[in-house]
Amino acid sequence: MEKRLIKKDALNGIISKLSGEMPVYAPVKDEDNVLFKVLEEGMEPLVAYSNTRNAPKNFFFPQTETMMRYMRTEREIKLSGEDGEAREAILFGVRPCDARSFILLDKVFDQEKYKDPYYIDKREKTIIVSLACVQPPYSTCFCTSVGGHPMSEEGADVLLTDMGDNYLAEFITPKGEKLLERMGDLPAADGSADEKKKELSESAEKEIKSHIPGKEIKPWLDDNFEHPFWDTIHQSCLACGTCTYLCPTCHCFDISDEVKGSDGKRIRTWDSCMYWLFTQETSGHNPRPSQKQRWRQRLMHKFKYFVDNFDEIACVGCGRCVRYCPVNIDIRKIVTDISKL
Amino acid sequence: MENVEKQLREEAKKLLADKKVDVIVGYEEGTIPLQTSPCFITNPDDTGKLVWNSFCSQNLAKYVHDIIHQHRESQVRVKPEDKTKKVVGVVARGCTTRSLVIHLQERQYGRDEIVIIGVPCTGYVAKRKVSNLVDDNEILEVSVNGDKMSVKTAGGDKDIPFKDVIADNCLNCHFNNPVVSDIMIGSEAPPMDVDREYHDVNKFEKLSVEERWAYFTKEMEKCIRCYACRNACPSCYCKVCFVEQSQPSWVGVGDDPTDTQVFQIMRMFHMVGRCVDCGSCVEVCPMGVDLRKFLKKLDKDGFELFNHRAGADLDDPPLLSTHLMEDKEDFIYEPEEQS
Repeated sequence: MEKRLIKKDALNGIISKLSGEMPVYAPVKDEDNVLFKVLEEGMEPLVAYSNTRNAPKNFFFPQTETMMRYMRTEREIKLSGEDGEAREAILFGVRPCDARSFILLDKVFDQEKYKDPYYIDKREKTIIVSLACVQPPYSTCFCTSVGGHPMSEEGADVLLTDMGDNYLAEFITPKGEKLLERMGDLPAADGSADEKKKELSESAEKEIKSHIPGKEIKPWLDDNFEHPFWDTIHQSCLACGTCTYLCPTCHCFDISDEVKGSDGKRIRTWDSCMYWLFTQETSGHNPRPSQKQRWRQRLMHKFKYFVDNFDEIACVGCGRCVRYCPVNIDIRKIVTDISKL
Repeated sequence: MENVEKQLREEAKKLLADKKVDVIVGYEEGTIPLQTSPCFITNPDDTGKLVWNSFCSQNLAKYVHDIIHQHRESQVRVKPEDKTKKVVGVVARGCTTRSLVIHLQERQYGRDEIVIIGVPCTGYVAKRKVSNLVDDNEILEVSVNGDKMSVKTAGGDKDIPFKDVIADNCLNCHFNNPVVSDIMIGSEAPPMDVDREYHDVNKFEKLSVEERWAYFTKEMEKCIRCYACRNACPSCYCKVCFVEQSQPSWVGVGDDPTDTQVFQIMRMFHMVGRCVDCGSCVEVCPMGVDLRKFLKKLDKDGFELFNHRAGADLDDPPLLSTHLMEDKEDFIYEPEEQS
């Protein structure tokens, strides 16, 4: 693995040079929100930010995606693909929790049995530059409880770590190493940088304030589909999509046709287990008719079904759902409460 | 506030113990600063968790409607003689009582199905205002002392004048005391700055059509269609919202900007004479869309054209379902020519 040092004041120059060559998506302040946006001339990415309001999953799994178009003529139906393939791009400044979410999403969209060409195309062409959390940004962060780490390189092609005067840049994957070629001459990092990173890593881990028994509740979930506990968590839920839409790992989708005259397109859109239409069948029957069942689904999907299928918890501990739930339904509390049952 | 809380808990306990209500809908302490969570209490011994403070932002009338209607649905297959009634006690500030009045006016439930525990209100804290004032540093602890709020953040501590963090709708609220109640807690709250109620709307009205449209489209671009606004709104109680109807489908499900605009415009027009300016839709929005600007314009029209204030009086007929001979009609033609 190549390890280089980037002077702090040189970083923006490098990013702006790269953004002349390919789209660079980075955290920027947009009115009240910090969001991933494409950097345009003169824009500088935020490097001292906490985390973005929305998760970066929409780069590979957009909220709305056209899968194909069709045109009906008198004789036939003509099918065509979508506008063209994805372009090479850089996703800059991704927090380690969010970078790790891509590894989890890969398990769904890029598995042996099912390959999702829409997702894979964009995923393969995007270089992910992560920014380690030397200082975990929120007291609601709980990445270490669900298999992550504030300085983890999982999911990153390049990992930047703030060392004070410099960033330690680690070029982890071949994609990352190719990016190094475009970054110009950078001095190599020596062993002392490794030492320092190790120290930072240990202190960052200690700074994580929230801990949940994420793995420990699995046996309870296995046995308690009908437990009265499920009656207690959904009551205040507004059934809005805030938690699932801001979540880096939620990936349920719906497919529908939008037709105009004789032309149409088939689109894939985000779905949410919080919506009453979720798993509604054509007959009108819904196996999850109330918010209670839908909340159970959310918990089960993250802490049981995903573990059964892929041996990982479908949560990276970013804490967005905790911070932005309008009625303060706190997944940390729910998991902790379950562990006490 | 302490006293109000104490009295609130006692009254709630009494209501449950005397079986005057089946459930109390109130607020409980949140797990993070600036938050409370709606709570539902059925056991008199649990009323100690009720709180009443500046972070109680949600309009609880929404839950009252949901609980009563869910109960009614569960009774559909019950023999008439065995049917039961569910009585809901609700902790209600001024705007919440106005929403309850709208439900009653619209025959959503009977007056005997609710017990209103009125609380005086001096405005709730808008979370976004606080975050903006502390440069987005994470807020670790807050306390309100009189007219100032002390905020402890990851980037240092700060004292903020309380009026700077109160939600916009509260600042100019006419109804910070309940318009109707069965039990009143505490003493009447002092009036808010009502003279400036339409200040923002007046300013917005003066902009050109293009400028107003530009503002609307910019705000709508932030929307992620999570429907938190609609779901938090007590007046949005349609069983199936038009955005979720599929035969016909009125609005596309994708993120086409026009679909988002249509959703928001239609929702707003459903609010004419029914929006109590509780600010819940704004407070729950994860993206900070300024919905109030447009809703307040509709409210202003209702007031200035028909002297109507949504949910202000149980005896008022709903705005759009009544016609009075003296109602203004000039807007039906060409208002520009007339003026």
